[in-house]
Amino acid sequence: MDLDSTTREALAELLLAVADDEFVIGFWDSEWTGIAPMLEEDVATSSIAQDEIGHARALYQLLAEVTDDDADRIAYGRQPDAYRHAALLNHRRGDWAFSVARRYLYETADAVRLEGLARSTHEPLAQLAGKMRREETYHLLHAEAWLRRLADGPPEVRDRLGDALRRLWPDAQQLFAPLDGEGALVMAGILPEPMATLHAAWMTRVRAAVEPIAGQLPDARPSPGGRTTRTDDFRWLHGEFTMVAGGAEAAALW
Amino acid sequence: MSTTERIWEVFRQEDEGDPMVHAGNVNAPDEELAMHYAREFYGRRGESHRLWIVPRDAVTELDDPDLLKPPFDRSHKKPGGYIIKHKLEAAKQRAATEAGE
Repeated sequence: MDLDSTTREALAELLLAVADDEFVIGFWDSEWTGIAPMLEEDVATSSIAQDEIGHARALYQLLAEVTDDDADRIAYGRQPDAYRHAALLNHRRGDWAFSVARRYLYETADAVRLEGLARSTHEPLAQLAGKMRREETYHLLHAEAWLRRLADGPPEVRDRLGDALRRLWPDAQQLFAPLDGEGALVMAGILPEPMATLHAAWMTRVRAAVEPIAGQLPDARPSPGGRTTRTDDFRWLHGEFTMVAGGAEAAALW
Repeated sequence: MSTTERIWEVFRQEDEGDPMVHAGNVNAPDEELAMHYAREFYGRRGESHRLWIVPRDAVTELDDPDLLKPPFDRSHKKPGGYIIKHKLEAAKQRAATEAGE
């Protein structure tokens, strides 16, 4: 598909946002490897984290084709401020309840987003979104299973889960932060619905599931800066995942 | 949250039509997580076409030697217990002769 430069830039912005979301949540969740609540869960969490990074890789490759760049450079070659993941992914791993709360908020939003992107007029994106959905369906079921387990748990567990959900709630909205080039994307059908529409669909579903656990939640909205604010937590993670790729070894021959 | 973990026996089938073979087992607190863990341990590399996930306590175990290894000679219950090779050859020959007549 031939795209004019405005639309191409907007597509690049969209791909970068989704790719960075998958990339960063994958790295945060991989922080559980070796210390998850039980051996089986350790393997499952690590495998899901790996899946997310795999999705990020495919998205960075698609982006690299659009911008004539290199997927590895995009993934590892940027300063922290150039990442475009949503504010939800700015927080460090936290305890298990915090990770479960974040994964639940993320997976539900990702499901809504991928359902839309699978109908994109940009064929390679529609195909990739379709493939990702097949795995993400199970990620969501896994996150839902844990949310229910913790919600039905003893008071301390339930409290920790409720605290995490309330704390993450405003930042979770930012998964639907408006994009600069959104108008062009919606016009071209690359993004079948505006972020605000996707946000409303997600909100209806998630509020009903989460409020029985977390109590009444405020009417938080996505904001234009929702994907540009970076934190020390993320700067630390960035240092971790670029340690080899961006360090003195970057130009080494293996 | 119940911390009681149960053991689930996992059987896998490599391709449609293949026999289900015992793959191993996983610990999981409930059926739903057992499914996820079985998938991660015995199916995430595309090596399985189908999995059966069975709570271990649903399995009826029989290991009584009186039933499985009886003390008397039971060789006549094995297919090799009767030697029919010669009888079979004779029957084949008879059939061939009859067909030739």
